[in-house]
Amino acid sequence: MPETEKIAILPYRKVFQIAWQGLRIRLVKTFLVTSCITLALAFLTYILFSNGMVAGVAERASEALRQRLAREGILEQMLSAEQRTQTAWMLGIALMNSFVGIVNAMLISVTERFREIGTMKCLGGLDSFIVKLYLFESLCQGIVGTALGMVIGLVLAYAEGVSLFGREAWTLLPAASVLRILAASFFSGVGLTVLGALYPAWSAAHMEPVDAMRSEV
Amino acid sequence: MSGEEAAGTVVSPGGEGEAGVDLLATHIVRAIGVRKIFTMGGEKVHALKGVDFKVERGEYVAIMGPSGSGKSTLFNMIGGLDKPNAGKVFIDEVDIAALNMYELAWLRCHKIGYIFQTFNLIPVATALDNVMLPMLFADMVQAEAQDKAVELLRKVGLGDRVFHKPVQMSGGQQQRVAVARALANNPAIVLADEPTGNLDSTTGRQIIDLLREINESEGVTVITATHDHKMLAVSDRIAWLTDGAIERYVSRDALDIQEGRADAR
Ligand SMILES: Nc1ncnc2c1ncn2[C@@H]1O[C@H](COP(=O)(O)OP(=O)(O)O)[C@@H](O)[C@H]1O
Ligand SMILES: [Mg+2]
Repeated sequence: MPETEKIAILPYRKVFQIAWQGLRIRLVKTFLVTSCITLALAFLTYILFSNGMVAGVAERASEALRQRLAREGILEQMLSAEQRTQTAWMLGIALMNSFVGIVNAMLISVTERFREIGTMKCLGGLDSFIVKLYLFESLCQGIVGTALGMVIGLVLAYAEGVSLFGREAWTLLPAASVLRILAASFFSGVGLTVLGALYPAWSAAHMEPVDAMRSEV
Repeated sequence: MSGEEAAGTVVSPGGEGEAGVDLLATHIVRAIGVRKIFTMGGEKVHALKGVDFKVERGEYVAIMGPSGSGKSTLFNMIGGLDKPNAGKVFIDEVDIAALNMYELAWLRCHKIGYIFQTFNLIPVATALDNVMLPMLFADMVQAEAQDKAVELLRKVGLGDRVFHKPVQMSGGQQQRVAVARALANNPAIVLADEPTGNLDSTTGRQIIDLLREINESEGVTVITATHDHKMLAVSDRIAWLTDGAIERYVSRDALDIQEGRADAR
């Protein structure tokens, strides 16, 4: 066997391919995990945009709009401490829920694939390969779920914004803030998913092949 | 593959000189006093009760015995998939217990090819990808691995099923893919645990013949754990395992003579 140059990228491509095919085949479960993330992220994105708009009213809204809002008491209600803590709580719970959901779904995915994992280890796969496989898988789900959630959150936030502030909703947030919010949402969504996959991936990788293959029969 | 004592008859286990005498012999597998105890619900199951088992390079050996006799347990010990409670297993004179995680993975990758009763193909991957996987674990360049995988699939008679997924193939075809995969990194040993257990009689026969063919053409040592009596006809040597101990060895020549009786067992 000629020891030609080793291309480290190759196994990555394979890892990615296998992970991706796995996701496609287990479509229903993939959908469940992804929707967990989507829901939480829709909520997060919505809150961030909505808060941003409310904050923007003070500096950027026209005099007419501010007067109308003051008259209707909308702003006061939205800025009340009570309302804010309630939102923070709900947000925290949503994110935690989605995190638990991800960990849970990944653990199930690991149990379902004990035999596959054991086989890969028999074929000479290292623990790190198995970890990569699961992290790639969660990365895919994280990106898709997050992107979807962000779109939903964005649409909801602006729909509400338009109904409250009229056409001015579009100008309440400067482009830089919009980008900042999008980036924050994206990274927390993907980060959350990958973090949730870490323990399941680790536990899958550290199984002995015999244990992995026995437990499914 | 006529070994030193292949001249016929039944050889009692552990009868020959244990250590020292034939250290220079070409034993690809050497298990010495292997014991395995499982604890299940507080109760101890002695799955292997001090098994001595040697296999010569290029041999085709069948480990035969009824269900629950410890065949799979022995298979796992020899394959470096599980560790014995006592005793040692040497593969190519290397003590498996002394290997670290990476060396063990290397051994599984390069030295041993595994075949299972349940085929154990990666369900989401094509036949080609399944066969390529061990080569990629061995850091082979993709193009090279692909060519070799196609060649191996041709060799096992699946040249026209390269891009099929496991679900699109029959049991016999899946097991052929598994055979091709086991040969991916030119292993010295192919270990097969009940390779025909999930196959009908004819298909099982074909897999047995395929293994024999590979054994003869490549010189690969084949060790199968089985209770399929079709395996008797092709094996150079049979180790009868009963209740966690090797009861006796039967060589091929002896088998030919008492064929009827061996089959009747
Ligand atoms: N993980 C395990 N835990 C407990 N008992 C086991 C385990 N694996 C095997 N055994 C027991 O060890 C004995 C041998 O099993 P096995 O090697 O699978 O037999 P065979 O492959 O010949 O059918 C059986 O009595 C079986 O119940
Ligand atoms: Mg068995």
